Amino acid sequence: MIKIIIDDKTVEAKEGTTVLSAAKLAGIQIPHLCYHAAFIPEGSCRMCLVEIEGFPKLELACSTQVKEDLRVWTQSKKVTEARKGVLEFILAEHPLDCPICDKAGECKLQDYYEEYGLFESQFKELKEKREKKVSIGERLILDRERCILCTRCVRFLREVTKTQELGVFNRGVRSEISTYDGELVDNNYSGNLTEVCPVGAITDTDFRFQIRSWFLQKGDSICPLCSRGCNISIEYHPGFARIPRKKRVYRITSRENLAVNDFWICDLGRYAYSYLDENRLSNFLSSLNGKNKRFDQESALQFAAQKIKKLYDKKKISRMTLILNSWLTNEELFLVRKIFRDDLRMQRIFMVDPSQGEKDKMLLTSERSPNRKGAEEIGFDFQSLDFKGLAGKTDVLVMFGEYLLDLASLEEIKAVLEGIETSILFSSKESALVSLFGLVFPTALAAEKSGSFTNCEGKIQSFEPVLESWGESRPEWQFLLELSRELDINSNYYNQIESTTAVLEKMREEISFFQKEK
Amino acid sequence: MIRALGYFIEIIRGSLITARHFMANMFFHILKVLGIKTKRKGAVTIQYPEEKKELASRHRSLHRIMTREDGQPRCVVCMLCVTVCPSECIYVEAAEDPDPEIQKRPSQFVIDLNRCCFCGFCVEACPEDAIRMDTGKVEIAQYDRQDLIYDLDKLKE
Amino acid sequence: MIEFLIPLIKVILALVWLLLLTLYVADWVERKESAIIHDRIGANRASIFGLRMIGLFQPFADAIKMIFKEDFTPSFSRKFLHSLAPFLSFFFVAVTIAAIPFGDTIRIGSRIIKLQVLDINVTLLFVLAMMSLGIYGVILAGWASNNRFSLLGGIRGAAQLISYEVAFGLSLVGLIMIYPSLKLSSIVHSQGELLFGFIPKWGIFLQPLGFIVFLFAALAETKRVPFDLPEGESEIIGFYTEYSGLKWGLFMMTDGMEIVIVSTLMTTLFFGGWQVPWLQADGFHWPWGGEWFLASWIVVILQVLAFNLKVFFFCWFQVLLRWTYPRFRYDQLMDLGWKLLIPLSLVNIVGTGIIMSL
Repeated sequence: MIKIIIDDKTVEAKEGTTVLSAAKLAGIQIPHLCYHAAFIPEGSCRMCLVEIEGFPKLELACSTQVKEDLRVWTQSKKVTEARKGVLEFILAEHPLDCPICDKAGECKLQDYYEEYGLFESQFKELKEKREKKVSIGERLILDRERCILCTRCVRFLREVTKTQELGVFNRGVRSEISTYDGELVDNNYSGNLTEVCPVGAITDTDFRFQIRSWFLQKGDSICPLCSRGCNISIEYHPGFARIPRKKRVYRITSRENLAVNDFWICDLGRYAYSYLDENRLSNFLSSLNGKNKRFDQESALQFAAQKIKKLYDKKKISRMTLILNSWLTNEELFLVRKIFRDDLRMQRIFMVDPSQGEKDKMLLTSERSPNRKGAEEIGFDFQSLDFKGLAGKTDVLVMFGEYLLDLASLEEIKAVLEGIETSILFSSKESALVSLFGLVFPTALAAEKSGSFTNCEGKIQSFEPVLESWGESRPEWQFLLELSRELDINSNYYNQIESTTAVLEKMREEISFFQKEK
Repeated sequence: MIRALGYFIEIIRGSLITARHFMANMFFHILKVLGIKTKRKGAVTIQYPEEKKELASRHRSLHRIMTREDGQPRCVVCMLCVTVCPSECIYVEAAEDPDPEIQKRPSQFVIDLNRCCFCGFCVEACPEDAIRMDTGKVEIAQYDRQDLIYDLDKLKE
Repeated sequence: MIEFLIPLIKVILALVWLLLLTLYVADWVERKESAIIHDRIGANRASIFGLRMIGLFQPFADAIKMIFKEDFTPSFSRKFLHSLAPFLSFFFVAVTIAAIPFGDTIRIGSRIIKLQVLDINVTLLFVLAMMSLGIYGVILAGWASNNRFSLLGGIRGAAQLISYEVAFGLSLVGLIMIYPSLKLSSIVHSQGELLFGFIPKWGIFLQPLGFIVFLFAALAETKRVPFDLPEGESEIIGFYTEYSGLKWGLFMMTDGMEIVIVSTLMTTLFFGGWQVPWLQADGFHWPWGGEWFLASWIVVILQVLAFNLKVFFFCWFQVLLRWTYPRFRYDQLMDLGWKLLIPLSLVNIVGTGIIMSL
């Protein structure tokens, strides 16, 4: 450990760290544009200049390594003067078209100008005109006027994805970011460039002109689209008064977690958020005996409990089939195990997952569900389901999720379901399945519920609801707990449980895998 | 007794004041009826629908959207007016403009005058001077609430 | 036949005169005068075929509106008395017009017709009696509404009217002593004489103290600002809270009518009634000598005009007072009535007696 003094504050840092990251650890912010923790520092923006005792000139905090008894001043007059000068030079060519810039509100250059600049420009010359709308990728648009040549994007593609599609071309005032020979940026992590860019030079068409960033509220969640479990922020609009909002979620951004996803998320996780707002199921649906009876939460649960109880009382529980999927959280899967396997002594429990996709070299895994590892650890085997064989063996079918459609065609499902007396579906989407089942419970998505996922590396990550639940939909764990009460089994046990954290406590007591994360 | 007398004097003085007002105003009213023009008038009333008071130059009246030379609205959908509006009555939606110098133009610009409180913050906030409240129109009442929701075409007039 | 027709025509003419004047005083004068006092213009929009006439049609517009408003009787009120009260109020005030002399006499053919509906010996007492009976309207309205606030308003009204009734009557005693008659026509006749040869022998000159007491008491009798405690339209709730439509209009008419009646009484008792100074039956007899003879019909017209002018002045004056003063507090009201006006009227009687006995 090396002791250095920053602004009269003694800071301990490991050998090899830079002054900037040492200051950051101590809670002292040093402005920087080109520095990014994930890349090798380049020192091209000059914003992080600090005064260091014994050095004749100001030094770059981002690339100066700490030494014993280094004395650093980050707020001295000389430093702020220098920052102002640097800003003035950057802004000499920056267009200041903040009103139409999608970065406005979260732009670092804007923040630093607010903090250190606030000067009238001394340049009498007109600003250089450059191309404002260059397509550099399927979704990416480059604005060369706004670009401050920090080369973060170039370094990202060189060091992280190692695809090297972008580079700095020409020299001096003609320097510009460009692709090689018109080859577009084409990799599964291109969306990260918009986050990496400290100004609004690289924007994506998905978010372009949709909304200004300050209208959005942020909530932390876990990406459920593959078993990696990347940490994400869901940015949603709370809605304007009296104007029906078109969608809730406007974008997904990555959240730093060095143990899982560093600073990045893949384009699938970033741009496939429309499932949160589209085709959502908002009511209890039923088509029992061809009649549409209106159900609410209470009557639906009573109906389900009554059917299950009848089988159980007649000792015919073997004629009930349960189909799960690994979009369910650890807590929900655990509750299913407790209620159906331990208490009702059911045997016929199957998993039906979404079909697998392609994996890539970095984060994206082939499983398109977030919790396969968790399901395995809780004790569900992934045996293949012979769906057509269910017909004669089942009186009550309870199914979670709509992934059956990946397994069998709609006609086959219809034929099988007609032979089953009671069929109950827990679904968040209005898929084709919904009309086939006798009773459908609307359920919440991962962004709307609390719980935890176990990712492919066995890491358990908890999350809290970000969005409000859609219509009458509720998280599955709430339905399961209520169902246990309606079934009136082992009530001493279930009455202790009221939240997902309580379920997690129980899991830690009973399953050794979950203990290690304590 | 003396105090009561004092009241009495005040009472008389009071009615003399109102009587004086009556007489003076009546005098000017009669002069007007006789067709004699005077500087002072009998009443300060402005006979509204026929006579209209001139609005102050800073008066905030109905909004309008300023246009560029080619008739397109100046608005670049920065949404600062939406941000600053205390009654949340502005709704703007952006569209891509073919001109890369403009890039962003409104596809929808709706002001709900049912909610608008005419504070003029939107005018203050606008960086493009695209919205102004200087039309001088103050008679904007409608029989239908829907008619008070002004869209881009109505605001451009 | 003609004996029957003449009184009928007189009654009709008197009532039409009273109602028109009331309508205009209670509505047009009230609104316009207050407006002019306030530097406003006042109601001027009611028009017939675009003819506005400085709002002269406004009273009719208001009356028509009043007629077509819903006449609402609350379910909890005593229906019959509730309907009766405004009519009682209206009737007892309207009937006093019978006793007022509009002029001397006119001669049509061989007939001499008095310009007065009812010329009995006790017309003054008749007027006082009828005005006292008007209290019943107020009390009944308050009580029959079955609303506690209306009842309180009615009780306030009754107490106020009864209190001022005393001063009202006593202030006139001195007058009766001077013109020893209870007959209004002869009181007016007596005021045609001259004092010291040049001052008309009007009540105001002979009974200045009596006039002041009478003025205050009469204002209180009209139940208007500053004595509007029974009603208190602006904040405290009064006896006709539960009235609407034409019945409420009748109360308002009664209010206006009281102004007119009080004005006619002031004119008749203290300002010479239809008398024009120095005008005798055959023309003017100037106190500095010299005469100006006029035809008798011109004299009658002059006298009737003088009466109307005086009445209108007092109507104007009362409206002016109503737009000048704030309301009395109830204890102040009672103090004024019992502790000031009644002693003053007694002093007036004694003083008059002493002067007369000299």
